[in-house]
Amino acid sequence: MQIDSTILENLEKLSHLHIDEDKKVEIIAQLSDILSYVENLNELDTDHLDASFSTLQGGTLMRSDEPYCDSAISHDILSNAPQSQDDFFIVPAIIE
Amino acid sequence: MITLKEALTKSQDELNRLKTQMENKAKEGGLNAYIGFESSGEGVPILIKDNIQVKGWSLTCGSKILQGYIAPYEATAITHLKSHGMAPFGRANMDEFAMGSTTESSYYGKTLNPHNKEHVPGGSSGGSAAAVAGGIAIAALGSDTGGSIRQPAAYCGCVGMKPTYGRVSRYGLGAYSSSLDQIGPITQNVEDAAILYDAIAGHDPKDSTSADMETVSVAQNLNPDRKLTIAVIDNYISEADSQTQRVFAQTVEKLRNAGHTIIHKNRLNTQYDIATYYIIATAEATTNLARYDGIRYGNRASCNNVSELFYNTRSEGFGDEVKRRILLGNFVLSSGFYDAYYLKAQKVRHLIRDEFNAIFKEADLILSPVAPSSAPKIGSISDPLEMYKSDMYTLSINLAGLPALSLPVGKDSANGLPIGLQLIAKAFDEQTLFDGALSLERAVNYQK
Repeated sequence: MQIDSTILENLEKLSHLHIDEDKKVEIIAQLSDILSYVENLNELDTDHLDASFSTLQGGTLMRSDEPYCDSAISHDILSNAPQSQDDFFIVPAIIE
Repeated sequence: MITLKEALTKSQDELNRLKTQMENKAKEGGLNAYIGFESSGEGVPILIKDNIQVKGWSLTCGSKILQGYIAPYEATAITHLKSHGMAPFGRANMDEFAMGSTTESSYYGKTLNPHNKEHVPGGSSGGSAAAVAGGIAIAALGSDTGGSIRQPAAYCGCVGMKPTYGRVSRYGLGAYSSSLDQIGPITQNVEDAAILYDAIAGHDPKDSTSADMETVSVAQNLNPDRKLTIAVIDNYISEADSQTQRVFAQTVEKLRNAGHTIIHKNRLNTQYDIATYYIIATAEATTNLARYDGIRYGNRASCNNVSELFYNTRSEGFGDEVKRRILLGNFVLSSGFYDAYYLKAQKVRHLIRDEFNAIFKEADLILSPVAPSSAPKIGSISDPLEMYKSDMYTLSINLAGLPALSLPVGKDSANGLPIGLQLIAKAFDEQTLFDGALSLERAVNYQK
């Protein structure tokens, strides 16, 4: 798979990342190399296999959905957040 | 350095003196294995990788983006540790978000190999392994997603163990690839690894992937006299360098002389393990790392609007390897490519597990290299794909969820660095893994 600048631009958007202009050629080459390599999986016949996988017997366990809140944890998270006030995280204005 | 077993008999005063000595020696030694000397509670000091939460400690996963984050709760493994006479002491350096094989990608700078400072200690738990091997930690916790405990242990000449997926709670472990991650011990010897494994293992309702089964002490039931059937994967060995092949052949002979039965098997080429791993791990990583947005915790970049908040925080906060894996993960999960890459890799995981299950119908354990060579020189692997290929022997164990233990068995005669091999057991059969490892440790009688 050859990555091009259009695909990279889309990946940057999906990832919320800006790749520096002077690194774009290198990252395109690296991603293309890695994706070409992983395409070796096409040599394996997997048509009969399930696409879901779990190492746990019977899959992931279910549990009842009971609310739980340790307010001390919330308090600690808020007090160490980049910007917070009362019980809220502060972000730049969303509505201009 | 005294062993963990011996340290558990010491008074708190003696342990406090030891902590001071370790801190002084670590600061003088220049390995950069410790990135902090925090202490939490009384007990035998255990070094903690910088991605396991200890309440009140700074926790950064070796990343700029988590600067300023303070753990608001304790990982279950840490809670268990404290109830077994041990206490967290110091944060160990690591590759950023555990994505690496050399501990060169940490925000705090690289960690050095205690045997030769021109070489890497391995990764991602390189700080944990370098400290234990360098005599500045009694024992340490690491995490293993694709070999991140076993490979640095092999490069540094100590013991590293990855438990069966589900044996040790992941609650409080910084998530990289959730279907692969496990916390495990890095120690000076096999018995210490069993003691530390016993302390952290057990069911945890806070981790939905934690196995709900009874945990029986492995350390109290260690039996190195069991005669086991051990499989060697013939087509694996040819991919290792001549030094590793030599040490491997010597070790097989020692196991045979110790009374074990050796059988020969083959597996899929390791190139399929590498491909499967780097699709699954990057897909899960990109999802797990979406939470780092500069809003709720860690470091926030300067910004004028919400879009800049996300882009600037993530672009300035993540290092190159983490960015590469996020981009790759988004590619394999994106519309149009999801079936061909992600779902294909999920299907191949079945093949890999089925192969191991078939071998374990005839064998109790598998003996395998951990890495294709001894520790490479710092800066010698710059191409990411080459770095990924060096993980060839460890990835399949995580993909199948199996337990494995790496221990030093010999030295590279060209550079004097340790060479480790790993034993692999069937899922939840840690007892056989440790029994075989103790037998192997005695048979090789490795000298530092």
